Amino acid sequence: MHIGDGQIPLEQAVIYWIVALFFIWLSLRWARKEMDEAKVPIFAALAAGIFAIQAMNIPIPWGTSGHMLGSVLAAIILGSPFAGILILALVLIVQGFLFGDGGISVMGANILDMGVIASFTGYYTFRMIKGSLGMGKASFIGGWVGIFIGAEAVAIQLAIAGTFPLIPAMTWMGIYHAVIGVIGEGLITSIVVTSVMKTRPDLVASSSKVEVPA
Amino acid sequence: MTPENIKIILAGAAIAILISILAPFLASSNPDGLDKNLITLVGGGSEEKAEEIIGEKDQVGYEPPFPDYSIEGMDKAGEVLSILIGTFILLVLGLGVSSILKKKKESRQA
Repeated sequence: MHIGDGQIPLEQAVIYWIVALFFIWLSLRWARKEMDEAKVPIFAALAAGIFAIQAMNIPIPWGTSGHMLGSVLAAIILGSPFAGILILALVLIVQGFLFGDGGISVMGANILDMGVIASFTGYYTFRMIKGSLGMGKASFIGGWVGIFIGAEAVAIQLAIAGTFPLIPAMTWMGIYHAVIGVIGEGLITSIVVTSVMKTRPDLVASSSKVEVPA
Repeated sequence: MTPENIKIILAGAAIAILISILAPFLASSNPDGLDKNLITLVGGGSEEKAEEIIGEKDQVGYEPPFPDYSIEGMDKAGEVLSILIGTFILLVLGLGVSSILKKKKESRQA
């Protein structure tokens, strides 16, 4: 779901870049406060792993394919949606400049959709339900919500851009990514969180986090 | 860096490298959800037409060194190599960015 150059007019793409930069700044502030010696290797492993897994497109019906985003996974493991945003920003910068996967002018929109929107919606869904459903199921649903809402955000941006008509775009982006959300994002997020919880629960920030009433 | 942290990096790198090597062989070459929408909603079913219409609107015209995770004249090996290059860059970037940003306990206590 990487938007390419030419799919969004420049003046709109600039606005998405500005919003994305604001969230990158917030993510850097999060990192300055929360990054410690123990999180450094996990952050690096997640960045490399998420880049690699995004190259693995899973076939789905309708002659289509899709890959997981990984932002919700990063947010759950590191305990903040800002972790997902920062890692996705790094991944998208490398993908765009080196591989042409996602455009340059629209990189802000891609960071916004796959980083900001997916991380926030997926992570807070996870936070809301992990108490009642447990880490595994909550990670699955959190991952699904993140990629689904992220994909619908892409559809809305491309409709505003005048590239797609809104309803068919939202319908098909929704259908494709609802499927990828189950067999890709949801499943892999849940498997990784569950297996890290089993072997090294201390590495999962979301598991030990003291709940602060909002 | 503690031995424990080095172990985590090596484990993460091993998994990422494994995925990078397998991806070109296992990944579906079908268009992804967004590209499929471009073909049907913009190109009227034709990938070439969709690319032409979007290409005309592209004011950036950026040419990446490894377009679509490929290296010219190298086929599958080029795909593996280009994904490995990306994975390695992200490992280094991830380490670099998080190391620079991490809080320094010594300076805090001072």
